[in-house]
Amino acid sequence: MIEMLHPAARTYAGIPGYVFGWLAFSVAVLFFAHVMRKRYILLKAGRADPRLEKIWERLKGFFVFGILQRRQPRYLWAGIIHIVIFWGFVVLGLRSIDLLTQALGMPVLGLLMDRSAEAFYGLMRDIAEICVLVACLWAMGRRFIARPKRYEGSSHTEAYIVLGLISFLMITDIGYDAIGLVIEGGNGDNFAPASGFASLFFQETGPSFLRSGHALAFWLHILAFLFFLCFLPMGKHFHIITALPNVFLRRLAKGSVKPVRWDVQGLEEIEKIGVSRIEDFTWKQLLDLFTCTECGRCTDRCPAFSAGRPLSPKSLTMKLRDHAYGMFPLFGRSPAAGDKEDADEEERREIFGNILTEEEIWSCTTCGACEEECPVFIEYIDKIIDMRRNLIETSNAPRAFNQVFMHLEKTGNPFGKPPSKRSAWASELEGMSVRVLKEGDETDILYYVDSYPSYDPRAQSVAAAVVRTLNLAGVEFGILGPKEKDSGHQVRRMGEEGLFQLLMEENMETLKGIKFKKIVTTDPHAYNTLRNDYSIKFQVLHYSMLMNSLMEQGLLKPKRDVEPGIYTYHDPCYLGRHNGIYDEPRRLLKSLPGLKLVEMERSRDRSFCCGGGDIILWHEISSEKERPAGIRINMARKAGAGVIVTSCPFCLMHFEDAIKTAGLEWELKVVDLAELVVSTL
Amino acid sequence: MDIVVCVKRVPFTQEVDLEIDRSKRFVATESLAHVINDWDSYAVEEAILLKEKLGGEVTAVTVGSEDDEEVLRRALAMGADRAVRIESGGMPMDGTVVAGILASVIRNIPCDLVLTGVQADDDNQAVVGVTLAELLGLSHAAVVRGIEVSGADIVARIELEGGVDEIRRLRLPALLTIQTGINEPRYVSVMGIRKASKKELKVIDVKELGLSQNDLVPPTEIEEIYLPADTGGAEMLKGDPSVVAEAVIDIMRRKGVAL
Repeated sequence: MIEMLHPAARTYAGIPGYVFGWLAFSVAVLFFAHVMRKRYILLKAGRADPRLEKIWERLKGFFVFGILQRRQPRYLWAGIIHIVIFWGFVVLGLRSIDLLTQALGMPVLGLLMDRSAEAFYGLMRDIAEICVLVACLWAMGRRFIARPKRYEGSSHTEAYIVLGLISFLMITDIGYDAIGLVIEGGNGDNFAPASGFASLFFQETGPSFLRSGHALAFWLHILAFLFFLCFLPMGKHFHIITALPNVFLRRLAKGSVKPVRWDVQGLEEIEKIGVSRIEDFTWKQLLDLFTCTECGRCTDRCPAFSAGRPLSPKSLTMKLRDHAYGMFPLFGRSPAAGDKEDADEEERREIFGNILTEEEIWSCTTCGACEEECPVFIEYIDKIIDMRRNLIETSNAPRAFNQVFMHLEKTGNPFGKPPSKRSAWASELEGMSVRVLKEGDETDILYYVDSYPSYDPRAQSVAAAVVRTLNLAGVEFGILGPKEKDSGHQVRRMGEEGLFQLLMEENMETLKGIKFKKIVTTDPHAYNTLRNDYSIKFQVLHYSMLMNSLMEQGLLKPKRDVEPGIYTYHDPCYLGRHNGIYDEPRRLLKSLPGLKLVEMERSRDRSFCCGGGDIILWHEISSEKERPAGIRINMARKAGAGVIVTSCPFCLMHFEDAIKTAGLEWELKVVDLAELVVSTL
Repeated sequence: MDIVVCVKRVPFTQEVDLEIDRSKRFVATESLAHVINDWDSYAVEEAILLKEKLGGEVTAVTVGSEDDEEVLRRALAMGADRAVRIESGGMPMDGTVVAGILASVIRNIPCDLVLTGVQADDDNQAVVGVTLAELLGLSHAAVVRGIEVSGADIVARIELEGGVDEIRRLRLPALLTIQTGINEPRYVSVMGIRKASKKELKVIDVKELGLSQNDLVPPTEIEEIYLPADTGGAEMLKGDPSVVAEAVIDIMRRKGVAL
């Protein structure tokens, strides 16, 4: 045993160590506080966004997705590495704080722990340090050797710096402990795998070297820790601080779209609609920007990106983040403060033309794959729709939309067809009559058809199949006929909020005049908007849910086998991801005689969007290399399927087009679930 | 440059099976949606573009009932500064009467330029613009698909027949009737239109204009409207697309198309 003072108690050039400790600590804390204050000012510049409702649900998610990191292993190895490092941090955070208090000459932890607790924590620490060290080396190796595509455009330098820094913290701590063991003359009965092993290297070294090494390891650890603290809020590792709050504050209202402003009632009162500058975002949308770790899972799953469109969710977040930091710099005057005199500076504040292109914003299909994947619950759809709202309001949307919006406003459908012909499809059905409901009527099921199934010949046959099934099952139902207006799902997501409100109010007025138990829709989009967007809460079902329950009640009795073949089910985004309806359509499918079902690699919450039911119908993204539907049909082929079943009229139409374009009619077919069910009855 | 632009609200008739009302003199329009006349939409956009370039004020004018204010609010939302509606009290009008009413109002609005659409979607007469120019004593050009302002003159690109254009220089003040395609009318959101209701919209009763009975009785009168009688020559092919396609090819062969 060698006599030795604690590194903080020793004097260096006559000055006690803890003085240096305080000096480094003060500089670091001041700098850290300055950066955090600037980030807070940026956050404060954002608009209102209430995020404290449903506290229990939030806490539950915080635990499951924050603490247990449930989304991490969706990418298995990266996820495991992250979980190891995260838990290592939890265990070792205490250690670093302990060492810091020692450096300040006021140790706390030693006083709180008895010998056995200390021994236990020492073991935990040693294990954690080995695990974290291995995980960091592995993470660096993955980046360096495997180079996953999703990291393209992410900051590798920062990743290496941080992984290196973490490894350095581990090594210095292990070194400090190891030398400490030698100095104390062994570790007694305590098992210390890391420091015990490392101490073997110092057995033969002399006392003065041990003293210097001990102090060096200690102070390097302290300095690295303080440097790390200051480094965090400067880049993507800010997520170490903001990720857990971001998970807690996540959006709970799935499927819906945020209002234009949370703090202003009535659209007329809102001076500026949508987002064109960074401070037009809400504070939570800005917190998202702080939290992005550039892991690229969003972009990896993005159908728009896969199709060669100019959108990458990851780079969208990164560009907005860099812009936000530029508008609210750490030092010097903030351009966001505004200077009406300086036209150039005013111009630089605008997102469009400087940071993002309009085509990026129109590329999104709002399928939600990015949001489903993000381990820290960054939101994309609301941001994109907020930016679209501004483009619409300032008349910077594609001109092709003008007519569509005019048609919807004037005729209640995007085609501009007369409302009087809305139920023409129903009167042309052979051997069936469909009741058109009038004000004051009563019915069990109100079948809400929506525009495409009302007017588009291909989608009409889906509506016909739904009606046939309801008839066969003896369900009492009716449609709204000419009084039905478009559900408004598309226009809301295209950013025309005023038009959406108009359509919603008109539809709600009509619905209020009729007594019904449940609404059934043809289209997952209508289902989603009636269920999640409308301000009156109706009981809404998608037809697949109703048909499944009719089947399970024995009210539908399949008599014939489906056509032979291998079937696969494509989850429409607004039925699956946005509303969690994965099982009902599958149960319904499995109840059909003779049906052999295979799953595509990307199914359920990883389903790959067909291209969507809105913008793609009227606006071509010129840089698109391949239609999303074209990519999807190849996924079905890869799964060995000969028939794609879907339950959304837009998926149906996009897949039919894609199959024809690819000339695969002899190999692959697409069928709507309702049509398939009818074929067996 | 101060500009007056005349607008009209017309029924939206796309794919509608039009019906003739009981008097057999009018198309039944009550159940139809109404929109701004397409040509007028381009005229308003052109006025706003000129205003954005040269400054000045834009006034939108219509003749009609309260329902017709919708098109004025649209013009206001697009960027017009004020709007005037002349309450017609539902009296029968034709293009000449409308031009007379407009003239008596526009005469009192100081302006350098009057814009109208070439014609209206509903009656397609193309009378109001040129008659109005005559009544106001303004130089005019009809079917304009390009405008440039040079000093006290305006240079208009006029669409003639057969793909020929004419460039004509007019001394201001002048009246131009605007052809579709001259620009791309901007979108005004539903909210934008609602917000524009805060802008000034003045209503003048036609009776206050001091027009004589002679000015207000339409010189033309519709005696009857009827749907064209069915004629032969059209053959509707029905059935499976492949059958239809073969029938089409067969017809083309019979008509002597080399396939």
